Amino acid sequence: MTNIRRRVLVATAAATTAILLTACSSSGGFQDTGGAGDATSANLRLLVNVTPVLTKQFYEDLVKPYTDAHPGITVTIEAPTAADVSATLQQQLAAGSPPDLVSGSLGRDTVPQLAALPEEQWVKDAPYAEQSRVGGVMWQAGSGNQVQSLVFYNKAAFTKAGLTAPPKSLDDLTAALVKLKGAGYVPTQTAGEWVTGAQVQMMANSNVLGATPDWFVKRNTKAVTFAGSPWSKVLETYHGWVKQGLTPKDAMGLKYQDAMDQFLAGKSATFIMGGWFVPSADEAKKDVGVFPMPTLDGNPAPVAGNPSIPWSVTKSSKNQAAALDLLKFLVTDKDAVTKELKAEGNFRKGFEYDATPLNKEVGAIVEQAPATVVASNGQGDNSAPTGFNDELNKLVQGLYLDQKPADVLKSIDGWYSSNAK
Amino acid sequence: MPNSKRPRVTLPLGASHAVLLTPATIMIVLFMIVPIVLAAYLSFTDWDGLTPNPQSVGWDNYTRLLHDADVGHAAIVTLIVTVVGTLACNAAGLGLALLLNRPGRLNTVLRAVVFYPYVIGPIIIGFLWSAILGANGAIAHVFSNAGHSPLPFLSDPTWAIGSIVAVVVWSQFGVNVVLYLAGLQTVPPALHEAARVDGAGRWQTFRSVTWPMLAPSVTVNLVLVLVGLLRVYEIVLALTGGGPAGRTNTFAFLILSESFRANHLGYGAAQAITLMVVIAALALGLTALRRRAEDAVTA
Repeated sequence: MTNIRRRVLVATAAATTAILLTACSSSGGFQDTGGAGDATSANLRLLVNVTPVLTKQFYEDLVKPYTDAHPGITVTIEAPTAADVSATLQQQLAAGSPPDLVSGSLGRDTVPQLAALPEEQWVKDAPYAEQSRVGGVMWQAGSGNQVQSLVFYNKAAFTKAGLTAPPKSLDDLTAALVKLKGAGYVPTQTAGEWVTGAQVQMMANSNVLGATPDWFVKRNTKAVTFAGSPWSKVLETYHGWVKQGLTPKDAMGLKYQDAMDQFLAGKSATFIMGGWFVPSADEAKKDVGVFPMPTLDGNPAPVAGNPSIPWSVTKSSKNQAAALDLLKFLVTDKDAVTKELKAEGNFRKGFEYDATPLNKEVGAIVEQAPATVVASNGQGDNSAPTGFNDELNKLVQGLYLDQKPADVLKSIDGWYSSNAK
Repeated sequence: MPNSKRPRVTLPLGASHAVLLTPATIMIVLFMIVPIVLAAYLSFTDWDGLTPNPQSVGWDNYTRLLHDADVGHAAIVTLIVTVVGTLACNAAGLGLALLLNRPGRLNTVLRAVVFYPYVIGPIIIGFLWSAILGANGAIAHVFSNAGHSPLPFLSDPTWAIGSIVAVVVWSQFGVNVVLYLAGLQTVPPALHEAARVDGAGRWQTFRSVTWPMLAPSVTVNLVLVLVGLLRVYEIVLALTGGGPAGRTNTFAFLILSESFRANHLGYGAAQAITLMVVIAALALGLTALRRRAEDAVTA
């Protein structure tokens, strides 16, 4: 009996060792380098960000003219199978099965897994490609500019409250919100989920990044802090709104969809959001206007934006030449770019489409802005560590509970210092 | 025509044991041992899930765990959900099992109805209850139409934890009903009859006959629910998303957030290994504690 047990144990140990050695020797499925491959014949896998607007069908229609013109190229559109594109890419890399092209918001940690884009003019001309540089290398090219830091407003509510012009400064905005509350409206709409932190970031974009566009570079080297920057005033303003009941009392129990529904139903007077809200507002056929996020000093600030539908090629793709050629099509072809811009109501100089009146208002804000800055958590070398948005959102939501702005700033500075690389 | 009858090969007993054990051994090693060993290895690294060569950080991830306020808070939330949820699931499961432990068509239908939530996916359950309990949900509309302020089921941290417990219990206790019903079937009717002859009332019969005889079922139910609730994740994700302000983050939710939202897979692995050890210790401890009660049944 002892012999049998020993044999079984030896067999089990041998199997375990073999499997472990196999698992460890393959570097967890990562492949450092792919290959150029054949530019005229390949099956390209595209991992894309799927939303109610950017459906799988949208992407299939988007690439169809390219595949029609390149019979040797086939394209498979893949939706995220994890929480988002970044998490799915992480899993696919670990499984040794990365896509050829990836489109979505990716953190700086991901850059070593992406191929350097060539130093060619068409890349440099693509929105936010220059800002994507990490260590001097461009790794992402956008199809357009997705504007953030906008304040959508209910025109009927403004009329009822006697507001005739959009507020210019944050103090003006607070005063307007008080009047809107008096007129019987929820002054500004917010929600739980990611919305709370995103809205505060949109308030900060104009006030922090406008004055110091490379703010995250400076924060990464500890040359600036959240507590010692305009973030402080922004958070105090927002905390004041919460305390004065200018945001919904039950905001943390609402989802993004609830927030949109409340605003579009006319119950709330303003909604701080990005340009992607335009198609929903247009669809609801409500009399909605938009103005840029007011600033601390009331002066015009740069418009904050992000690359819309940004594209990257993975370093481990075996079809890099074909993938790069498709990327070039997606960020330069007039029809393809226009289709991408129109889907989410985004902008790019030299590309025009039949815009709705609300979209034209956003376009006018972009035109009149003195400059453009990369919004929220930045991009390339000028970006926050991965996880910043989630951490900030969690801490900002604390303002609805027992947290003070100073505590939030201290916590976010502490988190940032522990995570900055 | 050659004789097709082959000589019968008889394997030695040891070899046949080894052959029979091999498939199960391979499966267990491949799908349980290897992932645990890899997770344990990663827990000593700074792996971000993207770089091919994680660097060793020694015990840093485990020391960080001890000082991380988020971990402490998630542990408290998990403890509340687990303790209250385990007791509630078992109380509701046993209570309903006692009520439904009679033959009859209605009882058969009710058993199926009670078990139904257990077969729905937890993500669906989370979204379903979020549409009912949310600030813009069904109950809020009822309150609003009646001229009352809605209750902060998901917007206040204390209420939100209560909502998670209630939804988890609703989704889980069906299986407890079934397990307790199975346990009740094993109680010999002669014991109940003897108790009645001795003049015992309903409560006395339950306390002195039914409850002791249910000891093995109680152990199984306690351990199953306890282990399940220590790992609760999907319902939290769909119901509150960990909010407001991360106040409803459970330990399992934190592990997933840390690993895949913040790209701290090494640290997430350390959290996962810690949770695994805690679950194993609690399950073994509880089983050991229940052994005396079970021994009394078999004696």
